Amino acid sequence: MSAAGKRVARGLDTPFEERLFQRVVLLVPLAGLALFFLYPLAIVIWRSLLQRDGAVGFGNYREILALDHLWRVVWNSMVMSGLTALICVSLGLVIAYAMSRSRIPLRWLVSLALILPLLAPSLVQALGLIFMFGRNGLLNYLTGMQMQIYGLPGLVIANSMYALPQAVMILAVALRYADRRQYDAALVLGASPWRRFVDITLPSLRFGLLSAGFVCFTVTITDFGNAAVIGGNYRVLASEIYAQVVGQMNFNMGAVVGILLLIPTLLAFYLEKVAAQRGGTQEGAIPVEPDRWAPRDIPLWAASYLTALFLIAIVAVVIFASFVQLWPYKMSLTLKNYNITTHGGYDPLWTSLYASLITATFGTLMLFALVLAQRKMSRGPARLVYLLAIIPVGVPGLVLGLSYVLSFNVKPVFPGILYGSALLIAFCNFYHYHSQGFLTMVTGVRNVPRQLEETVTTIGGGVWANLRDAIIPIMVPTLISVFFFLFMRGMVTLSAVIFLITPKLSVGAVSVMRLDQAGSSTQAAAFSVLIMLTVLAAMGLMRLLLLAQARYNGRPGKGEIAA
Amino acid sequence: MTLDIRGLSKFYGTFQALNEIDLSVGDSEFVCLLGPSGCGKTTLLRVIAGLESFETGEMMLGGRDLATIGARDRGFGIVFQSYSLFPQMTAAQNIGYGLKLRQRPRAEISARVEELLALVRLEQFADRLPWQLSGGQQQRVAIARALAVQPALLLLDEPLSALDARVRAGLRTEIRQMQKRLGIPTIMVTHDQEEALTMADRVVCMSAGRIEQIGSPAEIYARPATRFVADFVGSSTLLSAARAAGFGVTPPPGQGDSLFALRPEDVLIREDAAAAGRVRSITFLGNVSRVEVDWQGETILAETHRLPGFGEGASVDLSLQPGAGVWVQP
Ligand SMILES: Nc1ncnc2c1ncn2[C@@H]1O[C@H](COP(=O)(O)OP(=O)(O)OP(=O)(O)O)[C@@H](O)[C@H]1O
Ligand SMILES: [Mg+2]
Repeated sequence: MSAAGKRVARGLDTPFEERLFQRVVLLVPLAGLALFFLYPLAIVIWRSLLQRDGAVGFGNYREILALDHLWRVVWNSMVMSGLTALICVSLGLVIAYAMSRSRIPLRWLVSLALILPLLAPSLVQALGLIFMFGRNGLLNYLTGMQMQIYGLPGLVIANSMYALPQAVMILAVALRYADRRQYDAALVLGASPWRRFVDITLPSLRFGLLSAGFVCFTVTITDFGNAAVIGGNYRVLASEIYAQVVGQMNFNMGAVVGILLLIPTLLAFYLEKVAAQRGGTQEGAIPVEPDRWAPRDIPLWAASYLTALFLIAIVAVVIFASFVQLWPYKMSLTLKNYNITTHGGYDPLWTSLYASLITATFGTLMLFALVLAQRKMSRGPARLVYLLAIIPVGVPGLVLGLSYVLSFNVKPVFPGILYGSALLIAFCNFYHYHSQGFLTMVTGVRNVPRQLEETVTTIGGGVWANLRDAIIPIMVPTLISVFFFLFMRGMVTLSAVIFLITPKLSVGAVSVMRLDQAGSSTQAAAFSVLIMLTVLAAMGLMRLLLLAQARYNGRPGKGEIAA
Repeated sequence: MTLDIRGLSKFYGTFQALNEIDLSVGDSEFVCLLGPSGCGKTTLLRVIAGLESFETGEMMLGGRDLATIGARDRGFGIVFQSYSLFPQMTAAQNIGYGLKLRQRPRAEISARVEELLALVRLEQFADRLPWQLSGGQQQRVAIARALAVQPALLLLDEPLSALDARVRAGLRTEIRQMQKRLGIPTIMVTHDQEEALTMADRVVCMSAGRIEQIGSPAEIYARPATRFVADFVGSSTLLSAARAAGFGVTPPPGQGDSLFALRPEDVLIREDAAAAGRVRSITFLGNVSRVEVDWQGETILAETHRLPGFGEGASVDLSLQPGAGVWVQP
């Protein structure tokens, strides 16, 4: 009777205010993405095609690819990131295993050490390494031993320290999803501990290992801070792009290198997505209990403690150096390093703080709106929005920063007016970390039971009642986490904003680099310490808020970004 | 006010979730939607609530076309299996929520909340947050919240399924008595036949998006209209007309393909070494035992009081109570 052709859905009346709300929460974040992400990216691609003679073509690419030294730079980058990924994955596996499968004492010490690299701009690791092992380093000062830390070794160590926490996080999650019954079955069959590790643990970690490797590879191949401070003569893509743009004002060439930089990242990003899809876990797995087994535990623990101590020592030496009169000749302590007057003094720190607060506020609102819109959409369009929202993770900060220069440092009044403002820095940092924030938001909004919203509707509540009483109260932990995640990233990120600073406007992470390059490394250390303190305070505040919230609602907060 | 549904169909893409539903719910009537998982009970309830659209048919409440009224404005109450309380609000705040949305004076709200707390016997729990309440208590709060706004229709989607057996039985009578006292027309979804039979004024038996039969619990049990109902509500042995003839019953004229549905308690069983029946199994159920008998290649269910005097493998004779069994559509 009812022909499939013409069926009109009835009885589902969506009031005007609700339709309007859905429009707004969809269109505003999309407009933001279009203007501050897609448009700049399109400009980079366009500029990379714009040749010196004004024609459009692949001339720039041909020119760049013909340069001998470029291939060396690409190779250098690959070697550096490859080594970093290898170190991070192996060390990460050891630490993750020790933390989740053995009863390691002093667990908090290792956790603390792994938080440290998240507190500071990546170049603080490099700074610490130089204080420790450099020509004028502590090691040389105490033992007279000379080490060649600049170049590849320093770069790999600094980047490994920076990426290691992320590797540990991914692998710990992968280890958590194992099923104890498999191990019990193998044990009953008489498999030795080593066999169980090789036959059960490793295969189940395949995707985790792959994904950790890719993440470490991508975050370091595009990292600028360490390359600038400790890279020495070892040129990598990140420093090349900076040299082309800031050094030679060759924007189109910079754009080409930027596009090249997209390739490995997008590739890694894609492979990781594939891996993540295939690495599904079965429901109802019984978690594996940590146990004791000395032949395994002792080496694992030793490696974990050594790594933790190393991470702590490097940060400690930076803190120590920040109080030293004249490194390394006059080791008496002073506070004068904190009296910074050059390179804008403390202004950049305030700018960072201000811009990060905007990033966090604006970003949290935008992401919240986007997931609200996505939640009410049908499947196809919702997937599209999802895809768009996670593309930014594949774009390195350096490329994003460059794209902002090319798009906003221009004549037309509207985009031009933003250049040199803290607002632009704030937007850049938000879209740089858009994807991570979005994924957390999505997880959080899934915790809101649809039936709670339907209850509100049936009782007679509209959009606002739904937001106020059903969605926001449950999303509070997620909103807090996303806010602080964006804030903390905004405080420490360097590679994107390096292009956006002007003589009048700079940020904290850039100051550290500038101070170091100007030879005031102890002042750079002091500045780093202040950034770390700010971020630490933010992190503490976040924990406190989450704890208070959880206590009030009587259950542990969900949707936290594991930091 | 009565709810009248005529020829209502609902599609998810090409899948037809509801097929030509005809149903009316009268003033202060308690109707149970009963059916196996996936038959469309929840879908029907959600369509009535205005949370899902429908494609054909009509739905009227007291003469008003519900298709033109949004879920917000229907003034219904709904309770889900998962309680769905506001985690940040106390029991009292949860119950008063609808009144607060309607911006009633504070004094009126608190008076009404008191009243409802007493109704669901939770006076001393007024200031607890949901996580400080047991499942049964949470569900009572959810019911009170739905009742607070004096809904034109109360919709319950498996409100008792998440509770343990004892709490469930208690709440069953409580809900029923509350509904009788307030006289609110109620539709409850359940897949538990015992729940439907004990609570409902009328049971709506559904299968695969279609209504199989509507009737009082007694009618549904004693006179199932279709093979599905006979099978789903209680247990029945279904015999073809030819087999039924062996017991001396014949189908009404013109319904030669009907099946004869026989309740186990209507089958009398007697040990008889010369008889054709053979006991295949005996299941002790407490007050009765269920006996499976091989009877001329057919398995027939019978019941005895307590434990029978024979064991498995015994030869038995079967006969029917007078008036036993009904003819159902295949
Ligand atoms: N949003 C949807 N999209 C597509 N199909 C759906 C959707 N919701 C329900 N269905 C389908 O409609 C049918 C009826 O679902 P419904 O939830 O009404 O079942 P139910 O009778 O309530 O079952 P249960 O007892 O398991 O709750 C099912 O086959 C289900 O797969
Ligand atoms: Mg259901």
